[in-house]
Amino acid sequence: MKDNQTIARSFSRPVSGDALKRPPCQVACPIHTDAQRYIQKVAEGKPAEALAIIRETNPLPQSIGRICAHPCEDACRRGDVDEPIAICNLKRVASDGARAAGLGYEPPGTEFTTGKKVAIIGSGPSGLGAAHDLALLGVEPVIYESQPEAGGFLRTGILNYRLPKDILDEDIGYIRGMGVEIRTGAAVGRDIDFDELAAEYDAVLIAVGLSESRSLPIPGVDLPQVLLAVPFLEAVNAGREVPELGEDIIVIGGGNVAIDVARSARRVTGGKVTMVCLEADYEMPAHSWEIEDAVAEGIRIVCSQGPNAVVGDDRVEGLQVKKCEAVFDGQGRFAPRFCETELSVIPGDTVIIAIGQMSNLSFLTKAGPDVNERGILIFDREQCTTTRRGVFASGEVVTGPGTAVSALASGKRAAIAVARYLGVRVDFPQEPRPVGELPASIGDKVRKAPRRRTPARPADDRTGDFGEIELGLPEVDARCEASRCLLCAGGARYSQLKCISCLTCVRVCPYGAPWADGDGLGGISPEHCQACGICFTQCPVKAIDLEAVSEAGMEGEIDAALGEASALEFGCWYSQSRVEPEAPLVQLPCTGRLSVRLLLHAFEAGADKVYVAVCSEDDDGHFIHGHRQTRAAVAEAQKAIAEAGLEPDAIELRVEPELKCRPKV
Amino acid sequence: MITAERKNFDEIRRMTDAHRHVLVVGCNTCVAVSLSGGEKEAEQLAAQLRIARRRDGIEGSVKTVTVLRQCENEYLDSISAQVGQADVVLSTACGIGPQGLAVRYPGKRVAPAMNTNMIGYVKEHHVWTEYCVSCGFCVIGFTGGVCPVARCAKTLLNGPCGGSQNGRCEISPDVPCAWQEIYDRLAALGDLDTLARILGPKKWNVSNSGGPRTMKKEGFKP
Repeated sequence: MKDNQTIARSFSRPVSGDALKRPPCQVACPIHTDAQRYIQKVAEGKPAEALAIIRETNPLPQSIGRICAHPCEDACRRGDVDEPIAICNLKRVASDGARAAGLGYEPPGTEFTTGKKVAIIGSGPSGLGAAHDLALLGVEPVIYESQPEAGGFLRTGILNYRLPKDILDEDIGYIRGMGVEIRTGAAVGRDIDFDELAAEYDAVLIAVGLSESRSLPIPGVDLPQVLLAVPFLEAVNAGREVPELGEDIIVIGGGNVAIDVARSARRVTGGKVTMVCLEADYEMPAHSWEIEDAVAEGIRIVCSQGPNAVVGDDRVEGLQVKKCEAVFDGQGRFAPRFCETELSVIPGDTVIIAIGQMSNLSFLTKAGPDVNERGILIFDREQCTTTRRGVFASGEVVTGPGTAVSALASGKRAAIAVARYLGVRVDFPQEPRPVGELPASIGDKVRKAPRRRTPARPADDRTGDFGEIELGLPEVDARCEASRCLLCAGGARYSQLKCISCLTCVRVCPYGAPWADGDGLGGISPEHCQACGICFTQCPVKAIDLEAVSEAGMEGEIDAALGEASALEFGCWYSQSRVEPEAPLVQLPCTGRLSVRLLLHAFEAGADKVYVAVCSEDDDGHFIHGHRQTRAAVAEAQKAIAEAGLEPDAIELRVEPELKCRPKV
Repeated sequence: MITAERKNFDEIRRMTDAHRHVLVVGCNTCVAVSLSGGEKEAEQLAAQLRIARRRDGIEGSVKTVTVLRQCENEYLDSISAQVGQADVVLSTACGIGPQGLAVRYPGKRVAPAMNTNMIGYVKEHHVWTEYCVSCGFCVIGFTGGVCPVARCAKTLLNGPCGGSQNGRCEISPDVPCAWQEIYDRLAALGDLDTLARILGPKKWNVSNSGGPRTMKKEGFKP
């Protein structure tokens, strides 16, 4: 029997329905990475543990940590206080930090227990994601990649300055280390027949992406100085010289690929680069930060102009454009309207067309799967199936253009679909439900802290080469940035069965999260809760626990940190300063989360001295009343240990010497 | 709400140190609401005892278990396995707890960890004040909703006495004079003529001084 036990009512019983709500960042992430949990580990200075959490859902943590479009940050509720958490940068911090510590890069051993084999066509994020998850599910994947190296568009389309090749190689190496075979230089349809593949394997997954550039039906596109985005990027990425590339380059397109083309052209030639797009500046499909970076690098962007003709007889001399009056029709569909009389010429000696991509499905045979009238695979989004039994599809070939992380998500879903088809008992994951918006009244109560910027090479320095632009957050900055996380939906959870409606939580909560009516406690609003922990420390019947920093979790942290040591420090995220650097550290978002029980637990676990960091009394700390709760718990625990015969100062309160993560008020 | 306060730690140790296996039993109703003997406090006390006993080299164990109410046999039934392993059962409930345990587990030594003090009203968070002494015959209907039995130091039914000073009781400036409060309430309600009626001698035989009381209800019985 455990030392502590409650009969008849236990936490394993149903808890309040709100507990099912998840942080918006996790919900917004296509692969539902538990960002909050890994951010917490970054704040505690444990990058390897953070990386392990990232790896639970993300098979390409290093690559995605550099290039992700981070929809999580758009959803981040901290954005309603000041600025969203730099989640993507913190992902990189986790993998860089773990590597520096020599941890987290050993692939898990896999056993292909099902005896089933799956051929995956394409080694982009979708194919790699599917292969990784299939391997974990006991299915043996073999990837066929037509290019000489694996990675798909991550290798051929994304430039070194955003994603260094050695980083991509490490991610792919990890997946290979799990027993995933990648046959490079093996093009299906050219080197191996699709029907043979379908016959040889138990299932086939088509994850070929969008590997071919679309061209334009305008006069002059046949001139030799008119290039297409994909072959151009492939050549630049492979370090090959691009014939016919001049020094005054016009890039047609306003998306992320067009930006990459423009920035690469600038680096290769050192010359003038002009982007021309249909959209007005606020309509451009490229990410705003990509546009800013391009402009900083001296790239000129001409908006609201449509290509009319490439000018020149046997050499390109420029691009004739016409004014684009509207890109979309009343229903928001792409239907550009031009003013055919308002023409002008942008001079240049090279044109690169980057207006979109399509897939190459020429390897398909009469036996299917079928494509629709627009040449797109007929596809069931739920089951990831095509019209041919045993042939599945994932990634941009079926979803259309999107982000790398969306392709990854699609591949992961396909892995489950394929595994289910092959008899593996696995379910599609349930879609999580997000916690609601941060109420304005609560946003006002959250202490402001500016987002930490990741240092980057200055624009005039970086355009001379393809070296990585972002340099990674230094450790203290990373920990402070992580400490800005509001732990949305990570706060109080309560058991309706254990609750005795004593109203203590209602009375002590500084944020008004618990609410009661004539029938007793009605609930604890996860929207209002800031996870400060005061209700948890005060609840007399232990009906409340904290989702993100649970009592059992804290006990475990105490036991693990203490080990054979005899002293322990409880520290705080928001100061990141040590009050007893020699002692092992248990770091909490705020020491106000410490209950008397947890302080006593440290002594039971073998400590004979406990240091508790606290803000000074004239500083209200990160949480309202946080330091007062810390002081009250320490005073009560000191009295308790004194009664038990220990010296009361075996628990020592120490004011933090430095507030590294926020200015003193 | 019944309120109780934890006994002096040394007193608790004197009742438990001689026993090898101690079971601290929390109670998650009145004493939990009054923040003194619920699951949290029971666990805290058990931890304290473990630390103290380990330091003094006392062998054995201190475990804890909490029931919803120690005044109900069904809840006490549910901890028979834990009670069976204990040499002494230490209750953090009101005075009913250890007695209920003693009735339910006749062969088991029981001890109180608490001093039960009152039926209290929550004046504010962490502050309780005595409003009822369960005298068995309520007169509040004649005293403006203020109980002179519980709240007047002299239990006067027709007060105040001469010790009422500026609205405070002569026993302490912290104690309001119940009769001043009665007067103020009745005045505010326009019911001062109520005070013209003298309350006769009170039926004390229905109070605790008439011996232990039993309450029975008529009606359906299974």
